[in-house]
Amino acid sequence: MNNVIMSAKGISKSYQRGSEQVHALREVDISIQAGEFVSIVGPSGSGKSTLLHLLGLLETPSSGKIQIDGREMSGLKEPDLVKIRRGSIGFIFQQFLLLPTLSVRENIELPLLFSKKKARPGRIAEIMDLLGLSERSHHLPHQLSGGEMQRVSIGRSLINEPKIIMADEPTGNLDSATSEKIYELFKMLNNNGLSLVIVTHNMELAGMADRVVRLKDGKIALN
Amino acid sequence: MNIFSLATKNLLRRRVRTGLTVTGVAIAIAVLFSLLSFNAGYERQLSGELGSLGIHMLAVPKGCPYEAASLIIHGGVIPRYLSYADLEQVAKIDGIEVASPMLLHQFYKDDKPHIVYGINIEEQKTLKPWWKIEGRYFKDDEPGAMIVGRSLAEKENLKVGQVLQFGPDKVPTTIVGILERTGNQDDEFHFLPLSAAQRIFGKEGQLTTVAIKVKDVSRISEISKKLEEIPDIQVVTMTQVMGTIMNLVGSAQALLFSVIIIALFISAVGIINTLIMSVNERTREFGMMKAVGASGGDVSRLIIVETLIITLIGCGAGLIAALLGSKLVESFVRGVIPYSPAGELISIDPSLVFICIGFALAIGLLCSIYPAVKCARLTPMEAMRSDLE
Repeated sequence: MNNVIMSAKGISKSYQRGSEQVHALREVDISIQAGEFVSIVGPSGSGKSTLLHLLGLLETPSSGKIQIDGREMSGLKEPDLVKIRRGSIGFIFQQFLLLPTLSVRENIELPLLFSKKKARPGRIAEIMDLLGLSERSHHLPHQLSGGEMQRVSIGRSLINEPKIIMADEPTGNLDSATSEKIYELFKMLNNNGLSLVIVTHNMELAGMADRVVRLKDGKIALN
Repeated sequence: MNIFSLATKNLLRRRVRTGLTVTGVAIAIAVLFSLLSFNAGYERQLSGELGSLGIHMLAVPKGCPYEAASLIIHGGVIPRYLSYADLEQVAKIDGIEVASPMLLHQFYKDDKPHIVYGINIEEQKTLKPWWKIEGRYFKDDEPGAMIVGRSLAEKENLKVGQVLQFGPDKVPTTIVGILERTGNQDDEFHFLPLSAAQRIFGKEGQLTTVAIKVKDVSRISEISKKLEEIPDIQVVTMTQVMGTIMNLVGSAQALLFSVIIIALFISAVGIINTLIMSVNERTREFGMMKAVGASGGDVSRLIIVETLIITLIGCGAGLIAALLGSKLVESFVRGVIPYSPAGELISIDPSLVFICIGFALAIGLLCSIYPAVKCARLTPMEAMRSDLE
């Protein structure tokens, strides 16, 4: 296990909902190898999205430790976390979260605005081509189908050349044919050496991954 | 793409709301700018007008309050008079350069008040060296000759050589000259030789006031004390007159300004409300930006840039509106303020433009700081969730 890109040890997350203490995640250990394609599955409320958000540094665990590229994350402040998210992790959301006034190309370029980097020459065209969006470059999100919107969101996650892509129910809003195409895309990215962690409800699609992690009641039921 | 174009696109997404907010800022700035300009122009005109009288003090009959004295300057008539004996005593005082007797008479023609000044022309020319004339001045011993102010000539369509009739006996009087525009109240008056005016209006030997110019301005108060020793005379210096007018004006101004402050406050609250709303409903978007690599500072910057675009465009529109509408404001204000000088009231001062831009920037920053800081502090997931709650 010397090629671990991301690992978590004993991470828990609990929060207050009214008077009730909700334990979304309890003492979970997990590690992701470089180049690995991992699906996280489980029923609603099992904590799979929470696990993804914690691993992706979108929120901080109540307890436990997370390492990314061998570097300890606990205790790091937001400005440091931003740099790690920016450089190493790409996110894909169920609701796509594209900016409605930006064109396809601009939405894909958005992270560059924050990382203050220039994409290497041809990178954007390469991504658009890979995602089959070359013809759609100047279209606005409302002119796209759901599958196309999700591909734009994948493009956005790739632009900063991350080591790992994290997707939260990426096909939750898509029909099955489109979902399958998106998964083929994931598989292709994985074949190019990218690590992926994908939360999904869809067992069939989850099966396309190298490894399936099943969560139940905030704990790992099957690895 | 840069943060500026991203902000612009965000604003264009909600055109109506952005438009209304910009309008709100524009109105606030237009009102602020108009009123500040008015205030500056008003005070300058007023003191300029008083200074351009060329008169340092007026000797007026005793019992004449300052308010009446200020009326004299603008052609009001008071029912008390000085005598030539008083004039002699005034002229004897050391340090006085010119002591020029004047008689004022007011009459109505077509229900409009007209002011006639009886003057000694050579002395007046010393007091008002800027006077220029079309035609010629009358001589002090030239009955039946007169000169008129430019505005009066325009209003009544008077020409050099025309003959007017004055007084109960309808004495024919020829206009021998028309004054070039002075920008002060002289533009509105009829001027006759003093002796002729006294005769026509039956005021022989009577004077309304003696206009005094001193040799050395620093001796005004000393000379005014000496003047007050003359039993019939009361002295009004121009600074006192100005003070009186300023007091009259001050209360009206205070009212005006309190209305404006309330209007500005209301519009500022409206702007803050709109901005906070537009930030709140996009919290999830800001969460997404953070997830894809935006720092808290990036998000704050975006919010602040958006707000500043709104306030600065509003400020520009407001300034343009104020410049275009200054005539309108001027006529409105003339109706409200008890005394308004002749000439342009609104003065466009570059420093006021900067004050208004500064005010707009301050509103913009003030309005954006709260949502910007709030958004910057949220973790990406908190931001994305807060939208759903």
